[in-house]
Amino acid sequence: MSVAVMRQNNPIGRRSVTEHRNIYLAAGAAILLLLLMIPVIPWIHLTNPDALFDVMKLKASAIKKLQASYPVFTFLAFVQDSKQGILGLWSFILLLIAAATAVFHAWGIILFFSRKKIAAKKSLLGMYSRFQCGMLFSFLLAAGTLGLIFFANHHYGMQGFHAGFPVYVTLALSAAGYLSSKAMERKERILWHEHGFIEEVRRNWILFLFLVPCFVFFMINNYLPMVGIYFAFTQFNFRDSLFASPYVGFKNFEFLLHSEILHLTTNTILYNLVFIVAGNILQIFFAVLISQVANKYLKKVSQTMIFMPYFVSYVILRVLVFNMFEYDVGLINHFLTSIGRPKLDFYNTPSYWPWIITLFYLWKNIGYGMVVYLATITGISSEYYEAAEIDGANIYQQIRYITVPLLKPTFIILLLYALGGIMKGQFELFYQLVGNNGTLFSTTDIFDTYVYRITTTQPLSMGLGTAAGLFQSLFGFIVIMLTNFFIKRKNPEYALF
Amino acid sequence: MKKLLSIVLALVLCLSMLSAASAADDMTEEANLVFYVMGDAPKDEVAVEDAINAILKEKFNTTIDFQFSTWTDFNLKYNNTLISAGADLIYVANWENYGLNATSGAFLEMDDLLDTYGAELKELCGENMLNMCRVNGELYCIPNLWPEYVCLGIKYREDLRAKYDLPYPTTLENIEAYLKGIKEADPAQGLLRPTNTESASSLIIGFDTAYLLADKYPWVAPFGMPYGLTANYDTPADVYDYWFSDDFVEDCKMFKSWADQGFWSKSALSDTNDNEAYDNGLAVAEIAGMNPNKQITSANNFAKEHPEWESAYLTYGETTGVIYPGHATQNGTAILRTSKYPERCMMVLNYIMTDETMNRLVQCGIEGKHYELDENGFYVNLDDSFPYEGFNTWNLRVNDFKLKQATDVTLQAMFDKYAELGNKTKWPNVNIWDGFTEDYTDYTAERAAVGNVMRQYLAPLQAGLVSDVDAAVAEFRTKVTDAGLEACREGFQEQWADYCAEYNYQ
Amino acid sequence: MKIKDRSQAGFSVIKGVLLTILSVLCVLPFVVIVSGSFTSNQEIIRNGFSLLPRDFTVEAYKTIFRTPEDILQAYKMNAYYTGIGTALGLIIITLTAYVISRKEFKYRNTVSFLIYFTTIFGGGMIPWYLMYANVLNLRGTTLAIWFPALITPFLVILMRTFIVGAVPDAVVESAKIDGANHWRIFWQIVLPVLGPGLATVGLFQALGYWNDWYRSSMFSTSSRTWSLQFYLYDLVNSTQAMRQMAQYANVNTADLPTQSVKLAMSVVATGPILILYPFVQRYFVSGITVGAVKG
Repeated sequence: MSVAVMRQNNPIGRRSVTEHRNIYLAAGAAILLLLLMIPVIPWIHLTNPDALFDVMKLKASAIKKLQASYPVFTFLAFVQDSKQGILGLWSFILLLIAAATAVFHAWGIILFFSRKKIAAKKSLLGMYSRFQCGMLFSFLLAAGTLGLIFFANHHYGMQGFHAGFPVYVTLALSAAGYLSSKAMERKERILWHEHGFIEEVRRNWILFLFLVPCFVFFMINNYLPMVGIYFAFTQFNFRDSLFASPYVGFKNFEFLLHSEILHLTTNTILYNLVFIVAGNILQIFFAVLISQVANKYLKKVSQTMIFMPYFVSYVILRVLVFNMFEYDVGLINHFLTSIGRPKLDFYNTPSYWPWIITLFYLWKNIGYGMVVYLATITGISSEYYEAAEIDGANIYQQIRYITVPLLKPTFIILLLYALGGIMKGQFELFYQLVGNNGTLFSTTDIFDTYVYRITTTQPLSMGLGTAAGLFQSLFGFIVIMLTNFFIKRKNPEYALF
Repeated sequence: MKKLLSIVLALVLCLSMLSAASAADDMTEEANLVFYVMGDAPKDEVAVEDAINAILKEKFNTTIDFQFSTWTDFNLKYNNTLISAGADLIYVANWENYGLNATSGAFLEMDDLLDTYGAELKELCGENMLNMCRVNGELYCIPNLWPEYVCLGIKYREDLRAKYDLPYPTTLENIEAYLKGIKEADPAQGLLRPTNTESASSLIIGFDTAYLLADKYPWVAPFGMPYGLTANYDTPADVYDYWFSDDFVEDCKMFKSWADQGFWSKSALSDTNDNEAYDNGLAVAEIAGMNPNKQITSANNFAKEHPEWESAYLTYGETTGVIYPGHATQNGTAILRTSKYPERCMMVLNYIMTDETMNRLVQCGIEGKHYELDENGFYVNLDDSFPYEGFNTWNLRVNDFKLKQATDVTLQAMFDKYAELGNKTKWPNVNIWDGFTEDYTDYTAERAAVGNVMRQYLAPLQAGLVSDVDAAVAEFRTKVTDAGLEACREGFQEQWADYCAEYNYQ
Repeated sequence: MKIKDRSQAGFSVIKGVLLTILSVLCVLPFVVIVSGSFTSNQEIIRNGFSLLPRDFTVEAYKTIFRTPEDILQAYKMNAYYTGIGTALGLIIITLTAYVISRKEFKYRNTVSFLIYFTTIFGGGMIPWYLMYANVLNLRGTTLAIWFPALITPFLVILMRTFIVGAVPDAVVESAKIDGANHWRIFWQIVLPVLGPGLATVGLFQALGYWNDWYRSSMFSTSSRTWSLQFYLYDLVNSTQAMRQMAQYANVNTADLPTQSVKLAMSVVATGPILILYPFVQRYFVSGITVGAVKG
């Protein structure tokens, strides 16, 4: 493509540098680094296997599975086969880094080959950022591998492992690649009047300051404990303690294949969808209704009353529900008998329960969600209504064309938020209303209740519980990323992030 | 950044756990031991602790701090305490998975410590008791030293039985006759309030009626063993299949006929079962988890609220002839592997369990302030803020020092009767089943699946809430086989055979 | 005009009826609970629940208030946790929400994502517990009870929506042109118009704290730091646990709380916040509504 055409296509008339030795250096480094990670190239060698296996007290049967050297992606296999849980977490984190490295390098390389097309429309900053991430991760990976080897040798008190040449090559190459990419990025920035992180901090330091407490909180409360995700891949025992228990790969996930997982998944998703949709519709409906009531007294009292079920704990709800639906003396059957109708056997008939559960969910949650919509309605400027009034719009039209559209952003945010938890259930609701009544499971069993039952019958099954949680998280994560992506395409304002 | 920090965190956690001192204890440094026990703290915790510590400080340069699980999520918190190295001494029990935790390495091996710092205690326990606490040959806990019987049985209304001239509910036939008789005489009277039953430790999942099996079969474990296997008490190594036997079908049919006769509600599987039905006259018998102490509680309640009612109790062992005391690991004390002061732990434990004054101080508080002895030598509480066994340290009971309460007379009489019966069995007064710990690491997924099938298909069968027993049994058998029953059975049988061989139960 | 009035009158009747029905449905179980708390335990066990107390007694409340100093302490702790957690939490949540609502902030999507991410992925209870108990060594402190709930991601995102709705970009932009920095914009422009948002988020935050028992259960080493909910919850649990315990060991189980006590506890625990609610409520219902404009 000629320079003239490019100028023409570029509306702003800026031209990114697409041919410079630094670009080739960065891209070349990325390709080489990616090649070095190919699972046949050994990163970690066993220096003196016999002595090492002796220290590890391995049996001949275990030794048979082991190799003399390991590529970066399969060292966990060594950890698993040799039952050296002490190396597990470190190797696991290296594996995650390796995966991230591969992704960023590949991404950067793809952008590199289409750089001219991109440069015609926008900046190449995206490509540089991918390259830098890739280089950074490569560097971390190599340094981490050296660290692991040092740690292992120290732990076993002998020179058991040593690093292969790719580790050192990666270390040097990634540093070089990073610097050359950085140099190019700086030029590109000036060209596009974009600024980097440091400049952003300088400009908006107050905003960063605002974020400090939030950062500290989530670090302590969420991000640091996330190391626990690793437990999904271990078989916990006290002797080895948490971080040195044997690494068992995907063994804890096996129960997901064993059970009626499809059935549980559909149950969970269906219930959640009904809860989200019906819940929000009713909450909006009643919020609008309350906002329309002129009588202050009715307005306040009804709102308080609708909120009250939120305070009824599930433990008590369980007793109330049982008293209603019990076969012999329950309220409903009492009533049916008194009007000459046959009794209903609720606790042995699964088909009633989706209705009962949904009903009680809505009953308990309308008031809570309604508050959000009420507050949003309260925030709507009265000018809109006054203008509509002048135009002769009646109440229905005002609701239809003013109130409801203005509730939409709130609704979408709540919806998106709820979707991330699509595989997580209202555990207390199901558990307290149904209990362990197996007859009803076909329509009432959700993922959470299932996992709860499994983990309570298996003491020390920490890995199992974590694995189940991880499955739910991944599922929710995919759903939310997809939804957010599509919403962002249609209207970025409504997106969650 | 995030990952780096997690590595740092991991290291910090590892280090904090591995930092247990290994050097010999020279006693010059004051040791503050945490003693983790179950339940809620007594109000006067501090006063009694101070009194205890005044002595311990002087003798061992040590203090102890009792910390309580509370009764909310206690299993969870118990585990957390073990994982986080949150205690030095800890209450252990078979229902708190003593065997599993010990196998997994939560507790310290005690033999050497006991020899060096607890010679008196060792002698007091005796080899026999200590052996029962061994897991894979290693000693991980000191048992409590008060022999008790927590056998299962039926609690029923003796006044109604006499009034309608019904048979004593000794056998299943008689229980049926008893219930039927009351139903005929007084159709409005509620009979039983059973619900589902679950216990994690040996995969007991089903309906309360499963307790009645102990009234029919002379099994080594009251519910049979896990996975539908079972063996008789006299021949424990001789394992046979229950779920696939005709007996099983027959029993299910009997339960169905009971359900059809309206012995319990059709909604029983979701019953909120608050255990108060019997005490308030809404049920005429209780069949699940009834042991001598529960009978005493009910009898006392009746005496207070309904003097015209009379509660009586029959243990199933009286029918089958299989009767044995609670296992040594029912209540015990262990030292955490992570404790910094294992020697001091043992010294203190030795002292509390061999010194009469100290033991009474721990169990009953300060004499004259919290309790006194009446003219018959019975314990009388003076102050609610430290009740009898206020620290819930059932693990520190020692027969010779244990103060008797007035209600203990009846209880002791029952125990004496059972001890006599227990002596006549093939293994006199030996609790075989509760000493066994199953390690199901290799078939966790299958075990979980089997448990789930039991909940879904076995519980309704045992509750008699199926329309066609034969079809439901067939379905249960198919489902449970599909869930991986064979893998579980194989793994279990192998371990059980080893256990029987080790203790020579042939 | 006439048609409109008639339709409006009809609307007003329908909405009145609908609201009343829902309100009654919502409040009925609560009436049952209150009435049950004043009924003797035996009566509940024998004849179930009713709308009016049959065998009237305050026995259940006597049981709960048997040791008034304990329950007062629990109330005090609850008020403390709720107060500090709501005040501090509300400030941090609003600050954070303000940042991620600002278009000129380059990393707002990244920050939103990182906050939201914590609701999807977690390391589970045990590492979380170890973080507070072992790494920070906070077991037994009150900090461990209120700190872990300081920020709820949901409320941050909700607050962002409120800020976006209440503060048009143009207002912030013109303030910036006038030389105001973010600190001033936040305190002088954003906060004053955020009434309903602050009330909603504050209410949710306060409810979360008021109803919490879990953290008291996990981190308390003495009953002095128990929250009210945990104090009551544990009373109920101890009944069940002791009865179960008696299955394994010879433990005395007499004199434990019962059905009516459980109900009385609900009343005791929720009473204060229900009384408080109408005060917060005016922020949601006092705004302009169509009906009000109509006059």
